[in-house]
Amino acid sequence: MTKYVIKRLVIMIPLLLAVGIIMFTLMNFVPGDPAQLALGSGTHTAEEIELKREAMGLNRPFIVRLTEYIKNIFLHFDFGTSLVTGTDIKYELVKRFPNTFYIAVFSILLTVVVGLPLGIYTAVHANSIGDKISLLVTLLFDCMPSFWTALLLVLLFSLKLGWLPSSGSSSWKYFILPTIANSLGGLAGFTRQVRASMLEVIRSDYITTARSKGLAEKDVVYGHALPNALIPILTVIGMRFGSMLGGATIIEVVFSIPGIGQYLVNAINNRDYNACTGGIIFIAFTFSVIMLLTDLLYAYVDPRIKAQYVKSSRKKVEKNA
Amino acid sequence: MPEELRRKQENHERGDHPEHRRGGDRHRPRRKRQESLKPGSFKYVWRSVSRNKGAVVGMIMLAAIVVLCFLSPYICKYPYAKLNMMDSYQTPNLNHLFGTDEMGRDLFSCVLYGARYTLIIGLLATAMSAVLGIIMGAAAGYFGGIVDSCLMRFLDIFQAFPTLVLAMAFCAVFGTGVDKCILALGITGIPGFARLMRANILRIVNMEYIEAARTINCPTWKIILKHIIPNSVSPVIVEIAMTVSRNGLTSSSLSFLGLGVQPPKPEWGAMLSAARSYIRDYPHMVIIPGIFIVITVLSFNLIGDAFRDALDPTLKN
Amino acid sequence: MAENHQKEPLFSVRNLVVDYHSGDSIVHAVNGVSFDLAPGETLGLVGETGAGKTTIAKASLRILPEYSVERIEGEVFYDGKDVLKMNDHELRKLRGEHISMIFQDPMTALNPVKTVISQIAEGYKTHHNCSKAEANQVAIKMLEMVGIGADRAEEFPHQFSGGMKQRVVIALALACSPKVLIADEPTTALDVTIQAQVLDLIKSLRDELGTAMVLITHDLGIVAEVCDKVAVIYAGRIVESGTKEDIFDHPTHPYTKGLFAALPDLQKKVRRLSPIEGLPPDPCEERRCCDFYDRCPYKCGHCKSYDHTKAIEVSPGHFSRCWRTDATKEGE
Repeated sequence: MTKYVIKRLVIMIPLLLAVGIIMFTLMNFVPGDPAQLALGSGTHTAEEIELKREAMGLNRPFIVRLTEYIKNIFLHFDFGTSLVTGTDIKYELVKRFPNTFYIAVFSILLTVVVGLPLGIYTAVHANSIGDKISLLVTLLFDCMPSFWTALLLVLLFSLKLGWLPSSGSSSWKYFILPTIANSLGGLAGFTRQVRASMLEVIRSDYITTARSKGLAEKDVVYGHALPNALIPILTVIGMRFGSMLGGATIIEVVFSIPGIGQYLVNAINNRDYNACTGGIIFIAFTFSVIMLLTDLLYAYVDPRIKAQYVKSSRKKVEKNA
Repeated sequence: MPEELRRKQENHERGDHPEHRRGGDRHRPRRKRQESLKPGSFKYVWRSVSRNKGAVVGMIMLAAIVVLCFLSPYICKYPYAKLNMMDSYQTPNLNHLFGTDEMGRDLFSCVLYGARYTLIIGLLATAMSAVLGIIMGAAAGYFGGIVDSCLMRFLDIFQAFPTLVLAMAFCAVFGTGVDKCILALGITGIPGFARLMRANILRIVNMEYIEAARTINCPTWKIILKHIIPNSVSPVIVEIAMTVSRNGLTSSSLSFLGLGVQPPKPEWGAMLSAARSYIRDYPHMVIIPGIFIVITVLSFNLIGDAFRDALDPTLKN
Repeated sequence: MAENHQKEPLFSVRNLVVDYHSGDSIVHAVNGVSFDLAPGETLGLVGETGAGKTTIAKASLRILPEYSVERIEGEVFYDGKDVLKMNDHELRKLRGEHISMIFQDPMTALNPVKTVISQIAEGYKTHHNCSKAEANQVAIKMLEMVGIGADRAEEFPHQFSGGMKQRVVIALALACSPKVLIADEPTTALDVTIQAQVLDLIKSLRDELGTAMVLITHDLGIVAEVCDKVAVIYAGRIVESGTKEDIFDHPTHPYTKGLFAALPDLQKKVRRLSPIEGLPPDPCEERRCCDFYDRCPYKCGHCKSYDHTKAIEVSPGHFSRCWRTDATKEGE
């Protein structure tokens, strides 16, 4: 198992390097002069701009700047400073990260807590009225853009009922609507995936075997079907978590929550390329780590994958002996 | 045509033994029926899709949106771009079916006109991802080895981003506008198709019927044309429908963030972004464009679902 | 063999009808099948693929997939009680403890994420309400009985070969010493050498435990080796039934005769095997006359009007659905 973990970690390093290199390169070719941006609005003479370019090191060859940027990120976790505000990007990102992370975590929790039982129920009672209603509702939610859901929720719960705040992040109350808005679409998709996965398992031969042993229906469903259905669902949860991290960006904008997404959107709109590159790389890192954890968990849970590595290590021991 | 071919093939497989032929004749009614039910034929798929209630609803909704969108200049009393400050902030009424916005533009006209952005971006971006993704995936699956690892490692990089963030990154690079938005979404969608196609090719190439075709000396072009392509088409069709609907959602999200289509163009996401400020007093400005996004996305989803059911015989119970 | 007929049947199926729905059409898989099984007796259900054998087996335990079954009618008696009318509690007690089943495909019949021992012990634990340790002991005993060492008990199904998996399935089915064992083509998915081993195993376990058995197969060789009674199934109906001797020595139904004719004869030199021409009838269609009419070499005008739902007793205990038993006998 350790071998697998190491293997996966080793694969991840060049991937993250590539992400950094590509983002930096892409942003480098974007039209617009960073020096001019850094000087702020107003007219500047060509000399002033040239001086600023020199000071920012923009006149050095591209490859030198790229190496330095990548080195800074990977060795010092330093993303440079914002062109517009001049603040340290790492500081901003780290300060904002918890907000984004909370939204994503709460969203995935809500998704799993509601979606898993609902998916199992609808699969076990396939074609019942409950199943049909759930299918219809999830189909609809799946098609709702999260920012629209967010606006509707604000309209109902903040403006009409006045129960919950519509913007800010100062207490847990502020996270309720963002969480719901961010998870509703994913929740619908997740429920459908759980249902499909569960349905496939329930119709497999070994479930018939389990029934023929005389087990109670609940033992068949929770003891035999669920563990099998959960294996692919684990990957789905990981992927959903990742996309909720991405979805949080748009939700943060709607609810004015100071998170990484909001920072990123502001950076793009202000053409602040340093902040933009930094934010995107940061999100990519987080996302990759989550995907890695999902894969490891998957390998840990599925005896078939687990056995591959256990077996190969056992063989080695035998060979050595 | 495929019907004909298959019958020929079946006859061929059964051999030309006269006894067999007589046996076949005696059971003709049965054969005929089975043939029309054989999964995979266009007739079968069409029949299955057209019997799917969801798909019919989806197709009707989609057709309605497309027709209304292209007829909007003729059926709308007010052009979408016409400002009329006298009539601003109207709630839905007979004159302005969906009311008006802060500049007095007719929302009915805007919403109908806006459909073309969602449809065009959704379809063109999907076409771009599909073409590029399929070529890359097929190349990776077919050539294998170093081509495969290079392409797949390259696509892994895309996989390191959440979809929305990747699209945002491309928007940041390319800038705003319909064409840029198509480009950004098109590139974002490539890995999905490439992976699907590669998995398809690998799955099919290792199937025994390909081996069987090889053993009877079937030429390679025929294997590709008659076995690999028909068997890899169905997942791609489903993926296309799903990607169009996903692109519809993402493009409106991008426009909402101010990164895709910019106001005053009546893209639905952009309209919602502008209407946000008036949500307290004029909720209709927020509700109506959203409903249209849902309807469009829903209709593609329904059609995609129906195709999946029709094309994948293993999902049938 | 003769005393078997006097025994009170332990397990009997009466006029079992099963219809599936598939797409828009209704598949008549089983059309009025009846048979009896006395304690300790072995019945062979023989028929070609698609004849409805597995459906009969699954219907007897009520484990048919609910989503595709259109209707089940008739009676399945075990110990005087109708399985088809049992409530959930009775049904659970019946399954595994009284009637259990060996499945056709060992590759898919075992849960991939549970250890072999837990899958075997589970049934015993449910029925005997005992501790886990006790159930595990029984499971290990069962595994050893089918020739798998206790050291492999904690392994997962994917670590076993096909033949070993089938042994596990057998151990699983016999864990509670059921009175009736339904073996659904237990050797079909295995290769020939393993087939013989598994068959011997089933036979010896049956004799050891005194289990009555329904053996479903399309292999007449297996029937000859293992069974006391035989029922030949064609298109969802039993076309001929009787003792092994009745069927093997005096087949009367043209289909049975066809089956035997299709077997290669070691004594004679034959250039070609003689298959039964044609295909079985479409199970979606209602048939008004004998199921075998289209393919029958003995057919005549009367076959169309003859009541094909009735079986004729050719000799005591030997039933055939063909009215022309005289004619077919002459053909011998």
